[in-house]
Amino acid sequence: MVASPDAAVAAEFTGLASDERIANTAAALERNGIRPLLAATAADARRLVSSLLPDGAEVYNNTSQTLESIGVADDIERSGRYQPLRLRLYRMDREMQQREMRTLAASPDYVVGSVHALTEGGSLLIASASGSQLGPLVSGAGQVILIIGAQKIVPDVAAGMRRIYEYCYPLEDARARRAYGVPSGVNNILIINKAVAPGRVTAIIVNERLGF
Amino acid sequence: MSMFDYDARPVTPLLVLVGDTASRDAYAIRDFLSRNGYPFEWVDAGRPDAVRAVMGVTDLDLSALPLCILPDGSRLSAATVAQVAAGLGMVAAPARPEYDLMIAGAGPAGLAAAVNAASEGLRTVMVEAVAPGGQAGTTSMIENYLGFPNGISGSELATRAVVQARRFGAELLLARPLTGVRSDGPGYVAELADGTLIRGRAVLFASGVEWRRLDVPGVDDLLGAGVYYGAGPSEALACTDSQVVVVGGGNSAGQAVVRFSRYAKQVTLLIRGRDLGASMSQYLIDQVSAIPNAEVREQTQVVGLEADDRLRAVIVRSGDAAEPVRLPADALFICIGGAPRTDGAAGTGLVTNTAGYLVTGSDAAREPGSNWPLPREPLPLETNLPGVFAAGDVRCGSVKRCSAAIGEGSMAVALVHRRLAEAGGD
Repeated sequence: MVASPDAAVAAEFTGLASDERIANTAAALERNGIRPLLAATAADARRLVSSLLPDGAEVYNNTSQTLESIGVADDIERSGRYQPLRLRLYRMDREMQQREMRTLAASPDYVVGSVHALTEGGSLLIASASGSQLGPLVSGAGQVILIIGAQKIVPDVAAGMRRIYEYCYPLEDARARRAYGVPSGVNNILIINKAVAPGRVTAIIVNERLGF
Repeated sequence: MSMFDYDARPVTPLLVLVGDTASRDAYAIRDFLSRNGYPFEWVDAGRPDAVRAVMGVTDLDLSALPLCILPDGSRLSAATVAQVAAGLGMVAAPARPEYDLMIAGAGPAGLAAAVNAASEGLRTVMVEAVAPGGQAGTTSMIENYLGFPNGISGSELATRAVVQARRFGAELLLARPLTGVRSDGPGYVAELADGTLIRGRAVLFASGVEWRRLDVPGVDDLLGAGVYYGAGPSEALACTDSQVVVVGGGNSAGQAVVRFSRYAKQVTLLIRGRDLGASMSQYLIDQVSAIPNAEVREQTQVVGLEADDRLRAVIVRSGDAAEPVRLPADALFICIGGAPRTDGAAGTGLVTNTAGYLVTGSDAAREPGSNWPLPREPLPLETNLPGVFAAGDVRCGSVKRCSAAIGEGSMAVALVHRRLAEAGGD
């Protein structure tokens, strides 16, 4: 079992960024080809996501405390407005439909998720144990929407990596053991420095602590 | 379950169904949910740990089974398919007072017709008693449908077709059988089992076939308790390490063998004929022949069943053998032939052949009892009632293949246009 983050680590990585840091980070994202949107509250973020997802869209919601805590996972899976891919994948026959599952999971029209760290230079860091959710973020999904609590803003990539290993990983490990009965692991890390396809990636920075 | 499996699991609460594995009612709900692509968690009431994990208690009121816990937390005791469908919001009312085309059945023929009709601006509605996809929708893999070199599962084909049809504005009314169609001026009125009425200027019967009943004592008593009609897509996981018997010589039976062989200890396919070539596609014959835990018994018929509260063995007789043989069996899937599903056509005056298939085209005008009223002959897929068409397996003379059904459903739309223009106001 991985030790929980100590008080100092928690203090470093849970403080909400100031308005100035948020604004600077948003500007950096924009320079990097990532569209920044600012939400004052979780409820505002939820409404923004709803406005960005067209009715009938094929949407995959990444495993994310942020999405679950603010109701976006609910909206995607149960509102009836979208084609929620998790539901479709869950009822597929893992023996006979492996290829269909892979193809479906790899290239949704929309993927909605969060990150583990957002640097002031406009880089996004996401860690994943299975790695299955990273491919769509990089290139498979048509559109990417990320909801990021402002406590995740860090000075640079090095701080982002520390946030992953020292803060997020112990919490995620505990969650995985509860949810899956198996430990987690920082098995894959994705760093998005720039988005090459214009308009593909949207980052909603929320002025609340959301997720890990 | 692996972490990837959890990435493919909804994060919001699943519908939970608690019941007896030998319960016909529980099976009916599992089958309905599976065929409609609705994810759920099945809890065997005979497993206290599993029950406790979901309900927090181990004692169950058996009269409340099957118990359905909907995603919103509400509970349905002694649940029925109709109640579950209503609880999930799957029972919708028609949005329009009148449609250009009403399609009975949302299998391949009906879905193809809906996509083509709606995409061409026809106000279109499908009515489907159970789930979209029809017989093809329960097939684990269709490998000879154009455009899918790696095959496509029946459920995926159905899911995509429904999305496609809805995108063009077609409606799908689920979970209520069609009980009748009557003429109403130049058009028709269809009635569903719950009394819903639908007006259509034209009608397409694409209701397919249902599995022919196996005439063996005890079959009906064991339905859902080890005996199933069709390929039982909801039962694959439950057949892990089991002895499975499949009866039938067509592609559905072959695909069932392929699917269940991935889970079961042994799959035995029983056919009445001398070999599989009479009705199974060659690619499927090749696959079945290569499966190490699958066996084909030719010229073999089921003559009896052995059971306690559920199936335990199938008694078979082969060829000229004097003595029947006992095959241990945990599940028997019956995929034999098909009887045309024409319940909604009863009393309409539609002519059928002696086997009950709807007659269309010029033959329809010549059938005894036809009363064809127009100077022209019926259009190629038109029945003896002007503006009522048939496509797919329910139609006399159709080729019983998914591709052919899709072709007929698509083709029917052009004929519907001609009829609507003839009747005025296309």
